[in-house]
Amino acid sequence: MSQENGRARETEESAASWLLRREEPEWTEQDQVDLDQWLNQSMAHKAAFWRLEHGWGLADRLAALAPLKQDAPPQDPRSWQRYWKPLSLAASVLIMIGIVGIMRTVPSPGGEQNIAQQDGSVLQSGQVRLATAIGEHKVVPLADGSKVELNTATKIRAAVTEASREIWIDEGEAFFVVKRSEKVPFVVHAGNRVITVLGTKFSVRKDGKKITVAVLEGRVRVDEMANGRVSRSATITNGDMAFTNEASTLVAIKSPERVATELSWRDGMLVFDQSTLTEAASEFNRYNKTQLIIGDVETANIRIGGTFQASNVDAFVRLLDDAYGLRVEQMENGVKISQ
Amino acid sequence: MRRYPAGKMVDDDALNLWFCREVLPLEAMLMRFIRRNWRIEADVIDLRQDIYERVLMGAQKELPHKPQQYVFTTARHHLINRAKRAQIVSFDLVADLESIVIDIDNDASQRQLEARDELRRAQAGIDNLPKRCGEVVRLRKVQGFTTREVAEQLGVGKDTVEKQMTLGMRALADFMLGGSGKVVRTVRPKNAEEAGRS
Repeated sequence: MSQENGRARETEESAASWLLRREEPEWTEQDQVDLDQWLNQSMAHKAAFWRLEHGWGLADRLAALAPLKQDAPPQDPRSWQRYWKPLSLAASVLIMIGIVGIMRTVPSPGGEQNIAQQDGSVLQSGQVRLATAIGEHKVVPLADGSKVELNTATKIRAAVTEASREIWIDEGEAFFVVKRSEKVPFVVHAGNRVITVLGTKFSVRKDGKKITVAVLEGRVRVDEMANGRVSRSATITNGDMAFTNEASTLVAIKSPERVATELSWRDGMLVFDQSTLTEAASEFNRYNKTQLIIGDVETANIRIGGTFQASNVDAFVRLLDDAYGLRVEQMENGVKISQ
Repeated sequence: MRRYPAGKMVDDDALNLWFCREVLPLEAMLMRFIRRNWRIEADVIDLRQDIYERVLMGAQKELPHKPQQYVFTTARHHLINRAKRAQIVSFDLVADLESIVIDIDNDASQRQLEARDELRRAQAGIDNLPKRCGEVVRLRKVQGFTTREVAEQLGVGKDTVEKQMTLGMRALADFMLGGSGKVVRTVRPKNAEEAGRS
């Protein structure tokens, strides 16, 4: 038996070497083929590799210790004064390409006036506001080659230059395809969370204090901010979602179906799986001026599933009428649904 | 959890996911079980690896309904087999498995993150590493450096970094899974000298 000793360690050593190489930028498709081949040689290889991958991944939170970007704006708008740049710079930081039409507010010529928005967000010089109306959906290219896709009723601010890439989500939901840059992290601020990536595809939704992050590709760090400092941090990767509400964070790992569902709006669709009618109605209400109003508790708790066109609230209402025999009344401010 | 029709193998992604969610969280407990029932410390890591292999082989046919019971039953069988082969008697392998009370949150798909605790643990794991090893792992995990960047930063060869990094990776992973997190160098007849100094 003793001559067998160390067998597991040798396997583990090979696994470590594969895992390390896979994290390197030089990793190729051929390398992946070779790794798969090695894994398929024996269940022992898989056991060692998966164990190491998981244990090593559990230490990913260490990334939270990395110094934040030096010029990350603090939460308190008053202290932004320190970051005001000379006027000449303000022109060069106007970064949006081909989006002049949707710029609601251009930094004022003085550059020193903060433009207070109705919702309390402040447009700082160098920032550009992007917004969509109810039911609107658009893709906006950013100066660094990244793209942002805005869902319905969304308001964001963007400041993208060669030196920094920052987005503030004031309301709604956006999907980002971030061009990879090791040097300039792409930072998204949403409520008390800061999401930092180097190059990935992910979405961020802000719904009051609730922030939802869904990762389609790559790796994303979600930091919780308190008093301008990171208090907690979670790193999630493709197929994962993070649901945060004030101080709590819930992570759903390896749930690519849920991520796909979360992102179905990009195709103009709403996907429900065992959702209550209340949840479904509030989703439809995000996309349509015609608001659905649920009349009673029994109706509110009806479970529904299926895929619907977000903009076609009429079809949804007809279905409720036909399939569920619910009462549909046209009201002044929307459609009331009840038993 | 998804169910798989009989006769169809569980695919690797599902198997890996199951392994990470259901089996690896039991590692500290499994190690205690092995050590309690096996006197030869030098065998422990091999035993764990063999048990994982067996666990995965079995689960590949169908993911077991009661993972904890399944893992410890597999472990027990394996220890008994090894004992027979080695003709060693003297363990309490008859330990009543039912008496192992396992209290683990089984909510598979969602868990409340104790981010601060995990970060603290990861920090402790790094602090636990030998100096050079810890430095290399810190640059990788905290700063996101590639091997080449780490080598440039520290002014050492890429091979040295790779060696330190794999040692650190194994130790840190072990620590995160509830182990001692000690660096384990594979003993080689010659050239056992670490390349760590430079």
